[in-house]
Amino acid sequence: MAFTGRQLAMVINLDKCLGCHTCTVACKNLWTNRKGREYMYWNNVESKPGPGYPRNWEGMGGGFDSYGNVQYGTLPTRDDYGRDPDYDYQGGLFEGGGIVDANPQPTWLSNWDEDVGEGTFPNNYYMYIPRLCNHCTNPACLAACPRNAIYKREEDGIVLVDQDRCRGYRYCVRACPYKKVMYNAFTKQSEKCIFCYPRIEKGEPNACAKQCPGRIRQVGFLDDTSADVYKLVVQHQVAMPLHPEYGTGPNVYYIPPFSGASQVDEQGRPLNVDRIPMAFLRSLFGDDVDGVIATLRAERDTVSSGGSSEILELLNSNNRYSL
Amino acid sequence: MAIERRTFLKMLAGSAASAASFKAFGLSNINLQIVDDPFNYPYRGWEDFYREQWTWDTVARSTHSQNCTGSCSWNVYVKDGIILREEQAADYPDIDPSYPNVNPRGCQKGACYAAEYVNGDRRIKYPLIRTGARGEGLWRRASWDEALTLIADKVLDTIQTQGPDALTFFTPIPAMSPVSFSSGARLAHLLGGIVCSFYDWYCDLPPGSPITLGEQTDVAESTDWMNARYMILWGSNPLQTRIPDAHFITEAKYRGCKVLAIYPDYTSSAIRADQWFSVNPGTDAALALAICQQLIANGTIDEGYLAEQTDLPLLMRTDTGKYLRESDVAAGGADDRFYFWCSTHNTLELAPGTEGSSIRSIDISGHSPALTGSHEVTLADGSSVTVQPVFEQLKAHLDANYTPAQAGPITGVAADVIAQVAREVGDTAMATGGRVMIMHGAGTNHWFHNDLNNRAMLLMLSLCGAIGKNGGGFNHYVGQEKIWPVKGLVKLSFPEGGKKQRFQNTTMWTFVHARMTDQDLGAEGYSQSTRGYLYDSVQNGWMPLYPEGCLGNDKNNFVSTGATVKDPKVMFIWRANWFNQSKGNNYVEQNLYPKLDLIVDVNFHMDTTALYADVVLPAASHYEKYDINTTDMHSFIHPFTPAIPPMFESKSDWQTFQALAAKIQERAVQRGFTSFYDAKWGGNRDLSTLSDQFTDNGALAADIDACQFMLDNAPETVGMTMAQIDAQPRRMNEQTTWTSNVEPGRPYTAFLKMTEGKEPYETLTGRQQYLIEHDWFVEGGEALPTYKGPVDEDAYPLRYNTPHGRWSIHSTWRNAKQMLRLNRGGPICYMHPSDLAARGLQDNDWVRIYNDHGDVVVRVKAWESEKAGRVTMYHGWERYVGVKGKKANFNSVTGIRIKPTQLAGGYGQLHFKLNYWGPTGVQRDTRVQVEKYNG
Repeated sequence: MAFTGRQLAMVINLDKCLGCHTCTVACKNLWTNRKGREYMYWNNVESKPGPGYPRNWEGMGGGFDSYGNVQYGTLPTRDDYGRDPDYDYQGGLFEGGGIVDANPQPTWLSNWDEDVGEGTFPNNYYMYIPRLCNHCTNPACLAACPRNAIYKREEDGIVLVDQDRCRGYRYCVRACPYKKVMYNAFTKQSEKCIFCYPRIEKGEPNACAKQCPGRIRQVGFLDDTSADVYKLVVQHQVAMPLHPEYGTGPNVYYIPPFSGASQVDEQGRPLNVDRIPMAFLRSLFGDDVDGVIATLRAERDTVSSGGSSEILELLNSNNRYSL
Repeated sequence: MAIERRTFLKMLAGSAASAASFKAFGLSNINLQIVDDPFNYPYRGWEDFYREQWTWDTVARSTHSQNCTGSCSWNVYVKDGIILREEQAADYPDIDPSYPNVNPRGCQKGACYAAEYVNGDRRIKYPLIRTGARGEGLWRRASWDEALTLIADKVLDTIQTQGPDALTFFTPIPAMSPVSFSSGARLAHLLGGIVCSFYDWYCDLPPGSPITLGEQTDVAESTDWMNARYMILWGSNPLQTRIPDAHFITEAKYRGCKVLAIYPDYTSSAIRADQWFSVNPGTDAALALAICQQLIANGTIDEGYLAEQTDLPLLMRTDTGKYLRESDVAAGGADDRFYFWCSTHNTLELAPGTEGSSIRSIDISGHSPALTGSHEVTLADGSSVTVQPVFEQLKAHLDANYTPAQAGPITGVAADVIAQVAREVGDTAMATGGRVMIMHGAGTNHWFHNDLNNRAMLLMLSLCGAIGKNGGGFNHYVGQEKIWPVKGLVKLSFPEGGKKQRFQNTTMWTFVHARMTDQDLGAEGYSQSTRGYLYDSVQNGWMPLYPEGCLGNDKNNFVSTGATVKDPKVMFIWRANWFNQSKGNNYVEQNLYPKLDLIVDVNFHMDTTALYADVVLPAASHYEKYDINTTDMHSFIHPFTPAIPPMFESKSDWQTFQALAAKIQERAVQRGFTSFYDAKWGGNRDLSTLSDQFTDNGALAADIDACQFMLDNAPETVGMTMAQIDAQPRRMNEQTTWTSNVEPGRPYTAFLKMTEGKEPYETLTGRQQYLIEHDWFVEGGEALPTYKGPVDEDAYPLRYNTPHGRWSIHSTWRNAKQMLRLNRGGPICYMHPSDLAARGLQDNDWVRIYNDHGDVVVRVKAWESEKAGRVTMYHGWERYVGVKGKKANFNSVTGIRIKPTQLAGGYGQLHFKLNYWGPTGVQRDTRVQVEKYNG
């Protein structure tokens, strides 16, 4: 039994991401600002290399082993998501004192290591990666759910946790290797990114995609040969899933960062050494990333010498959604 | 990647067993149905659960008014009378389909305005009158009538006892909400109060622009970045500060542009560049001048452009270092007419288009103004003098002082890297007709010698013919200077005209009244102290300073004591967090605030200025009123419209100042003080009809009428209605505006009127002017573009950097919970790990940043990207958020420094004009120490 329906996909161009978190805030104010979801970021943006959100999610396991067995990773602790502070403005500003402190004092939050990365100045490096549920072709959360409360919609491949059926056992939280299923302690159910299906059903792109001022997200059906996502994922094969080795078949694809500056010496002389090490990008996207980056750089060379590039024009597209 | 059948069989078997066992243990309280196929799920009725969360009753178009250049149009969603959320309208028209468009404009801050401010717990709901000390946060709720009466009486008292120029009105940046700007400005205009500058005070003004180009600032809209083939990000951090526009950088790269980033730190915009190197802070002019030197040496200069567009062919006397004037050569000649040497005819020719020329064009067709050479000219008195084109002197100046080898050690950048950049800039400009652009920002503009940074970069672009070209130019993206329908704004704000309005450069006003004069910082290298220059400037009538006569009549007394003889008494602040954002924050608190009998703040939230005010009036939020909104980043206009009526007892600013006008009129009549003579007004001001004057007898009573009035009175917008711009953002009318025309299908860029239309620049010479002969410039050794290092007067080891950042627009959103949670939950500074280690500090430690001006306690973040020797604290933090018990902020360690040359007047383009020419409020030269805080 395999998924045979239509599949929506999203392409996210990391070469263009601003790290502005507009996607995160758009999602937050649409879906996760209430009823036990307050701590959740269905969509987050993390600086890489770095522990991300929830903290060290890449080390928590999940996904499938080479035999196709679902793996139950560790459950993130509440602290791994960061304990968001509150601020008593009403008291401090209107009832005396004139000072407002964060409570609790934060020691870890979802974007704690913003712009940190790794390496040594002037050759340190960091990149931004927005993350949401991958609406996988082979969802580990679905495989792990003992109540069969998780399903994948035939018409668009969106993976949902049935909020009537779920009882909050959190096998899905453990099994999702991306840690994009989260537990709602108020409703005692697990929740996750719903790929904005209420919007999609009305022809409106996901909030994170449509509200992206960096214009880095494209959405469409993978079997729609006119869709940007088809062209980038299937035709030109320049968009890649994050951690393909987890075996879940993500349907969020990334254009790897390919146009950044090289390393420099102490006086700024370019060294012709990639600033973001290829080994690091391979650890995110697999070994195929070398070829993808070579392709994309060749496209830039073509354009710089006066030619044109269908791929780069796709990445500049004004019509990024085919729903 | 299809699922293996084997996997699924295993999985389904497992889950069926689990379901059965849960049932057996009674853990399920529903009659669990079997799911045969999770890809054909039978029980989807529950999906309405999320669908219902994406519903609303009404939608209204609005935007935000935060001194942001975004000018992003948003849809605001309302359900059951409550504003739920907002989302970018994303319906700006295309300028031309060949360009990526500007949709969707809007950032993460705009995306939480409803949650944080409309519905936030800092909302000002009612008029508040202070009951505790300023800043203590103790209030009593007052009625509008009581609050307005208190204010009106104090206004009348002040006019009667001190004069109207003791009433100070501060509001910034009309472009973001011009009707709201006009509200208090119009009342100030009718009362005789002073209206303060902001663009110079915030140091958004690049002084090199009025000095060189005779223009406050004019820039390309961001769509024009697509036309660039070489883009230098220089002191501007667009990934953080121009979020809605930053996509064009990468999109330009995808069309063949090379992007170079020049910052001390490896900041977030650097990650989007093709090349980045670290430059020593404050040495940018040396770098730019070395590039200039190389452009000339390489011959990659546009000589035709220089001959026509710049003063470089104008002849300079080698004896005085000043231009050769008609008055030098001919008896009765003008002193604002200048010469070039025509190499075609070997003749001395008067340059057209200079200030004194009757020809209003710089077209020099038929002549070939020489850039080089040396000539003897007989003067009117019969004597003879050697003259040379400015270019000759400039070239010698550059060759002597600014070779890459000389600039290398200053800037920390290898000479061969400087040469490489110069080669690429020159070659690209020559090959593309000047499509080389500098994206310039506060990182280079907030230095004491900001004008020198500006002039060096402008020269670099002029040399290769890149100013006044699509895809080129000095694009100074700091501040929100462009109110496209400015004529409508002026007419609404100052109905009797600017000549009857008291305008004040805020840097000077604050410097003097906060007694920064006690420090007299920053005059090193000039012939007298800043106090001396300041006194002379005011005395010469070059710069106004209010209250009039406040410096007294004795220069020696003022220079030796810094003491004033008259004080401001009442201050109105709206649309601003003036106190929080004031450089020299401690001096303002300790010296200026005690002089003010009444501080009135009009605000929708309790920011620092509101917290320290005496009366706070509740303002409508940005989603509860009409206004209009424009920016220099695009050429469209769109409105604010009310999604709901003003909440609680709040009013729009237009209604608030209207109500205050009515109350002043009422109290004036009751007190029998209905008119007073005001020389600035040219007669008696009539307080008995103040309200009618404000509303123009009712014609402007409604906010939407004031909006329409502004549209009707500006060529850029005449013919548009509020309903039309509410339906969809519209591009400005296609006609002469600013320094270029808005043309269909063509992104706006600056100075096309000069490069294509041959109109003179608004300078003494009618050209881009690189020789400034004003005596104060000559005294400072700044007649030609030159480099001066940072002013290191604070004897502390670390440079102190307060850039604009990602998580706030100035101070707004600094108290936004969603933004704080996506960062580190409170104010932080950034230091290189080696600077932390040297001080025994760990990431997230509390630290005290201090110098002689004051101190502030925040947490520190270890940041490898920071240049060692510097501490960065992004600006805008409120004095009250997360400061470990001591009210302080990023400005607690700054003073105010005034550069003497920026007080100059009486020379061509150097004459006071609000926000165009006046001292800038610089702060990058500040130095500090950082230590662990154990309190």
